[in-house]
Amino acid sequence: MADKIPGYHGVLLEANLTTRAVRRIPLAPEDARRFIGGRGLGMKLLTDRLTRPGVDPLSPENPLLFMPGPFSGFPVPSASRTCIVTKSPRTSPLKSANRFASTVSYANMGGFFGPEIRFAGYDGIIVTGKAASPVTLWIDDDKVELRDAGKFWGMRTDEFDRKFTEELGDRRFRTCYIGPAGENLVSYACVVNTAARAAGRGGAGCVMGSKNLKAVAVRGTRQPQAAEHEGFLSVLEDIRRNFRAGFDGGAGYDDWRRYGTASALISASDNGVQAVRNFAEGTFAEVDKIGGVAAEQKLWVRDFACFCCPLSCKKAGVVRSGRYAGISHDGPEYETGTMMGANLMLSDLEAVMKAIYDADDYGLDHISTGNVIGFLMEAYEKKLIDRPFLDGIDLRWGSADAILEMIRKIALREGVGDLASRGVKALAAEIGGGSAKFAIHAKGHELAAWNPHRSRGLALAYATASRGACHLNSNSAKGQNEYAANDSTGVCLFALDGFGKDGLRRLLSAITGTDWTEEEYLKAGERITNLERAFNCREGFRREDDTVPDRFFEEPLTYGPHKGAVLKRDEFEKALSDYYKDRGWDEKSGRPLPAKLKSLGLEVVK
Amino acid sequence: MTKHRDTRLTLPDIKALSGKSRREFLRTAVAGMGGVLIADRFLVRGLQAQPSQTQSQAQPDKMVFSMVVVDFNKCTGCRTCETVCSSFNNKVSVNGRELPGLGNPALSNIRVHPYNPDVDVPVTCLMCEDAPCIAACPVEPDPQSQRRALYRDGRLPVLRNDLDRCIGCGSCAEACRMSRVGAIVPNRETNKPERTCTLCGGDPQCVKHCPYGALSHIVQGLPGQHYGLSPDAVAGLLTDLWYGKR
Repeated sequence: MADKIPGYHGVLLEANLTTRAVRRIPLAPEDARRFIGGRGLGMKLLTDRLTRPGVDPLSPENPLLFMPGPFSGFPVPSASRTCIVTKSPRTSPLKSANRFASTVSYANMGGFFGPEIRFAGYDGIIVTGKAASPVTLWIDDDKVELRDAGKFWGMRTDEFDRKFTEELGDRRFRTCYIGPAGENLVSYACVVNTAARAAGRGGAGCVMGSKNLKAVAVRGTRQPQAAEHEGFLSVLEDIRRNFRAGFDGGAGYDDWRRYGTASALISASDNGVQAVRNFAEGTFAEVDKIGGVAAEQKLWVRDFACFCCPLSCKKAGVVRSGRYAGISHDGPEYETGTMMGANLMLSDLEAVMKAIYDADDYGLDHISTGNVIGFLMEAYEKKLIDRPFLDGIDLRWGSADAILEMIRKIALREGVGDLASRGVKALAAEIGGGSAKFAIHAKGHELAAWNPHRSRGLALAYATASRGACHLNSNSAKGQNEYAANDSTGVCLFALDGFGKDGLRRLLSAITGTDWTEEEYLKAGERITNLERAFNCREGFRREDDTVPDRFFEEPLTYGPHKGAVLKRDEFEKALSDYYKDRGWDEKSGRPLPAKLKSLGLEVVK
Repeated sequence: MTKHRDTRLTLPDIKALSGKSRREFLRTAVAGMGGVLIADRFLVRGLQAQPSQTQSQAQPDKMVFSMVVVDFNKCTGCRTCETVCSSFNNKVSVNGRELPGLGNPALSNIRVHPYNPDVDVPVTCLMCEDAPCIAACPVEPDPQSQRRALYRDGRLPVLRNDLDRCIGCGSCAEACRMSRVGAIVPNRETNKPERTCTLCGGDPQCVKHCPYGALSHIVQGLPGQHYGLSPDAVAGLLTDLWYGKR
C-alpha cells in the first residue's frame, strides 16, 4: 500500500476514537528522510494535523502520537524508546490572543512498547478524536480493535497492569496506560508502562485521558527490514563490542549498572545542582539518606533493563519493614528521588519510595508533582496560604503524610488538588503575593530535578526547550539539534556513549540505505527543532517566554559548597541573544527568520 | 532421575498427575534426580548419555543431554537472548548468500515472560531426558525409524518435528505446558511446533550474547530449585523471595 521505504514499514496506524474507524495510512518517504522517526516524525505529523494556532489540547482535534524510531524493532542496544507527541496541555505564553495557546509536547519512555509497535508492522500510532466512553486500543499485527474499558476506569496503574495483562491473555502484549490522574485530566498526568516506566513530562497522560483512552496494547510478529542487511549486522557487532569493552574496564557503564541514575543524587548535591527545598538550594544536607548507596543497601533487590539494553538502570526495590512495608517498586532514581525527596526536604528513604510508588500508581509526573508540592510547602511556610486553603493539611517541609495526601488529592483533583492539578504557574496566579518568583517553571512546564543556580547553560537549556522546561536539552543550537535527531531514532540517550563517535549514523545509514553524514544528521535535528519552534511561535510564544524563574537570578544559594551561586540576568540575556543568532532566529522576538525556515523546507508553518 | 523415562506418559496421564498435584509430581521427579546426584555426582554425565529406550537404538552418536539454564538473579529481562536466537536460527538469503536474520523475537526459541512485580522468566526447551512432549505425540511411530512426528536424534537432544507427519494436535505443547515449562509454542495458524531450542549446533548464541551473563549451557542433571517449573510458578517463587509475600 505504501511506497517502499528501506528501514521502515511505510505504514502508520490511525485510530479515530470518535468514529471508531481504524485505518492504515502510508508514511511519506520524504517525511521519513527529513524527520527520521520518533520525536521528529511525530512533530511533522502533529503539525500536519494542527494547521492553525490555539487548538484546545484536550479537544478531540489534538492528535496523540506513539512514535518508535527507525532503530526500534531491531536488536540495537537500548533502542527501546517510545516518543509520545502531542500538543501540550501544560504550557502557555505570557501573552497570546489564543486562549488555548500552548507548545508542542513530547515525552519519551523506555521499556518494550516502541519496538513492539514496529513488530506489529507500524512506524507509528496516531490516535485522534474522543471515545464516547472509556476504551482500550488493541493492536495484534493487522487486527486492531477498540474494547470497552469501563471496568478499568478509575483503576490505578499497578493493579491495572496486572488485570489488563490477564484480560489480554498473553504476556507478549506490550502495553501503556494512564492512571486516575490521566482520567481526571490532571494537566501533568503521565503515560505509564510496566507499572513504573513513564512518558512523564508534558501531560501526555492528560491528553490520553481527554480521549477516554485507558490503554494501548500491541503485539506483533513482524519486523522492519534493513536496507543493507550485512552492513547492519556488521555495525551492530561493532557496537555490541564497544559496549562490552565498556564493561571490561573501558569507557565504563559500571556505575550505571550498579546504581542507574541514582548515582547522580549525591554527586549533584555535592555540586550544588540538585533541586532542594523548591529549588532554593542546590545541596541537600541529608542526601546520603536517599542516595544510591543507601537505596542499594535498604531497598534494591534486582536490576532490570529495557529492550536489548546492556545498562539495566532500572532498580527494583522493596520496602521490607515499617509503615510502608510491602511496597515493591523501582527507584528512587535521580529525578524521582530528588523531586520526592530533596526538593521536599524528605530524607526518609522508605517514605520517598512510597511517594514514588503512589505517584506512579496514580499516573502522575514526579517532576511536576514534586514541584507543585514544593511550591505549596514554600507558600505555606511563607504564610501566603493557610491550612484551610490546604484542606487542613499541615504541609511542612519533609512531612511524609502531608506529601502522600497531596499526591492523592492532586490525582483525584479533590479540594486543593483541583487547583494544584494545573501546575505551579496556575497556583502562583491564584495565590499571588510574589509567589511567581518561586513557581519553578518555564512556559508553565515545571523544571526537572537539576537546579540552574550555578549554570547559565542549564538555564538556557530550560528556557529554550520547545516543550517548556526540559532537562534533556542542550544549551547550544548544535547540541539541541543532535539531541533532537537522537530522540528521533528510538535510542536511549543514556546509552549514547556505547555507540561510539559514528555508531548512530552508521547504523541509521545501514538501516535506511542512505548515507547519513554528520552534516545531514544535524540538519535533520535542526529541522525538527525549528519545526517545534515555528509551531510554538505561531501559538504566540516569544523571546520573553524563554526564561527561568526570578529565583535563580535573585536568590543566591545559602547553603553548601556553592553557597552564593546565582545567575546574572545580563549574562543570561546575552547568551540567549547569541543562541538566537546562532539559530538564525530573530533576536528580538525569538522567531525563526523566513530564510532559516526556507533553508530547512519548513515554509508551511507560518 | 529416570523414573519416567521408560514410561510412555500419555496426555491424560500427565493431566491426571498435574491436575492432582503437579507440585508433588515435580517434587518426586526432582527428588529422584537429586538422589542420583548424591549417589554419584560423576555418574551424571554417563547416565544421561545413555540413549533412552524411547529413542532409536540404531542411533550412531550418543546423545549428550545439555541445556540452557537461567540465573534469575542476573537476568534483567532485556530480551537480547530472543534477538540473537532468532538471528542465528532464522537465516535469510541476501543476494544469494545465507546470512543471520535481523533477530525478530517472534521467531525466537527462547521467550522471556515478564511479570509484575518485576520478575522475568526466560523459557526455553529443557531437553528433558524423559521428553513428555515426545511421549505425548499420538502419531504412530514409523516402522523403520521408530520416530513419531516429534523426535530427536544425533548427539544434541534437540527436538525435531516432522511437519509432514505432524497432525497439529498440540499434544506435545500441552504436555510441556502441563508438566514442564511450556517451551513448545506451535505455529499460530497450523498449530504445528516449528521451533524449539536448537542449542545453535552446540554453541548457544543466547549464552554467548547475554549482556548480563545470566545464561549458561550446562550438562543436564543439576536440577535447581526452579527446574521444570512453569514460568508462572517460577515467577511466584521469585516474587515471594525477592519482594516478600504479597
